[in-house]
Amino acid sequence: MTSTTRRRVLQYGLAGSLMGLAPKSLGATMSSGVTDSEIVLGMSAAFSGPSRGLGIELFRGASAYFEHVNRNGGVGGRKVVLKTYDDGYQPDPAVKNTLTLMLEDEVFALFGYVGTPTVTRVLPMLKKFQERQIYLFFPFTGAQPQREPPYGGFAFNLRASYRQETAGLVQNFVDIGRRRIAVFYQADAYGRSGWAGVRKALKPYGERIVGEATYRRGSKFTGVMRDQVEILKASRPDAVICIGAYAACAAFLRDAVDLGLHVPIANVSFVGSENLLNLITQGRDDGERYSDLLVNSQVVPSYHDTSIPAVKQYQELMALYAPSAPQELLKESYTPFSHSFVSLEGFLDAKMMVEILTRLGERPERSALEDAVFSIAEYDLGIGETVSFGPERRQGLHKVYYTVVDEGRFVPLHDWQKRFA
Amino acid sequence: MKIPKLFRKTLFGVFLLFGVIGISTSLLLIYTIDTHLSKEYEANSKGIAKTIADASVNILLNSNLTALQSLIDQFIEIQGVSYVYITSETGEILAHTFVPGIPEEITAGDVTSTATVERSLPGKGDFIEVASPILAGVAGTVHIGMDTGLIALKIQRAIGQQIYLICIIFVVGVFAAIWFVNFAAKPVDGLLAYAVGLAREQSADGAASRDLLSRNDEAGDLARLILHFSQSTDVRGTRPQSGPERSKE
Repeated sequence: MTSTTRRRVLQYGLAGSLMGLAPKSLGATMSSGVTDSEIVLGMSAAFSGPSRGLGIELFRGASAYFEHVNRNGGVGGRKVVLKTYDDGYQPDPAVKNTLTLMLEDEVFALFGYVGTPTVTRVLPMLKKFQERQIYLFFPFTGAQPQREPPYGGFAFNLRASYRQETAGLVQNFVDIGRRRIAVFYQADAYGRSGWAGVRKALKPYGERIVGEATYRRGSKFTGVMRDQVEILKASRPDAVICIGAYAACAAFLRDAVDLGLHVPIANVSFVGSENLLNLITQGRDDGERYSDLLVNSQVVPSYHDTSIPAVKQYQELMALYAPSAPQELLKESYTPFSHSFVSLEGFLDAKMMVEILTRLGERPERSALEDAVFSIAEYDLGIGETVSFGPERRQGLHKVYYTVVDEGRFVPLHDWQKRFA
Repeated sequence: MKIPKLFRKTLFGVFLLFGVIGISTSLLLIYTIDTHLSKEYEANSKGIAKTIADASVNILLNSNLTALQSLIDQFIEIQGVSYVYITSETGEILAHTFVPGIPEEITAGDVTSTATVERSLPGKGDFIEVASPILAGVAGTVHIGMDTGLIALKIQRAIGQQIYLICIIFVVGVFAAIWFVNFAAKPVDGLLAYAVGLAREQSADGAASRDLLSRNDEAGDLARLILHFSQSTDVRGTRPQSGPERSKE
């Protein structure tokens, strides 16, 4: 095991004294991962490698909210603890980490996994150990496998799907007359998920993907994407939709602009917008040359918009607790962002998770988890879109937001015609 | 190591025989290993293609292309498998492992065919491509590209090991032949020395002469015969002239 097990006790403070007062029947058996003082959740994510920014930011956002809850008495007097492992965004370590979390650590539930290739390989394990009733909550991926049979019953999603993101991008491009869509994607399950979304979205318009190019997972910004750009240029696209991680997508954007592919280049939420922008503009005076063509879909609202209650709370708690990356897992340097779409998503995931744990009552049991989730109907998470779950509805949010870069930061895109026509 | 003239031709014959055996065995081995390993790789590739095809049926029928990609990504980790692609029944490539893109050589061909083909993809190498139909072809086709360079390397390695062994046997055999020839020639050398000694009227009572005369093989018979002739000529009072003296006549 390359990763080091690290227990993250997120909060201390009032919770400790409150726990002593909480009436608990000592000696009675409780679900694994739950003690009188803690509820342990397991997380395997990328904390190393070219996509480490995603795991770190998601963790930071979630940590800010869990810390807030723990400092204010926890959930029913129990602190929420995140046990984290690094998988480097690679399937095999993710599978090993999951086995450890389920069989050795015996966590209460899995939470905040990052990536499609990792989650897709983990899902069969949840089915294998289904008698343990371990669910995966709110993975950071919009892929279909955890939304559909045969594994959809083992996961709960909060974010909109890639299918919804790509459908929105395609619709907006077609609406402004950009019908020839090409796709640049990661050569794995994540890339295929986005590719399939674009393909499906184009069908009603009688269009097909005009060109496609791929890259290997784990490609770095220093890598060259000229071949991919040339392949797509040859297909004369009106727009390119990228399904990738920030390092590779930034490299593609750089080479596309340098090689004269001047069409809008879109990314889905998984890309890690701030990390991408950072790479293409850092150390450049002509950063706008690259960022002007960029349009990214998001599954959470703008973190600048403090008129949204959950965003306001997110900003306050991120400032108050300044959550750090899990130092024990960091192998490479990383400078966190004060705010980001990914950390906001992590924050909302944690907020939803706490609500579910709260609904489990005094004695949290895994067997009651599904009913607790299904009891959530029209729940106001504080972002203007209510959340509902049910046996046939395992995804909480559905709205997709579109952002472009203005004055060095991502802002909501309101007029596609004006920006890209 | 001095080899008697009498046996040089024999030794050359043995050497030649070993050489012919070694070369013909090597050629047969090259043919056998090349044929068998190539067929085995092709059979394995077909097995992989069939496994993917069987596992893909439900995934394809559910249009779950993410799961389909995840499936083929696991097979690409097998050594020798260079690429995998799956087509729909209409020939649309639904999932593949190509980077940076699907080669034109593939899109230009008949991707629904299940025939085994040899492909040369610029910048990627040479491949043998096998295919397996999904649901008898009505749901699509799985194609597996095996790196022939890697297969050739493995075959060469297997053949190299066999030839290496044959060479070792050949060298050991030649040295053994030389040793045996010398061993066989030793009594002849002794017989020659004995005869020369008698001719020069030297004493034939040495240990070497006694050993030679006591042998019960052809060398011993010849030695006793020479001794008999030598003693007979002594009795008649005539002695055979020595070699050099005869040559002077």
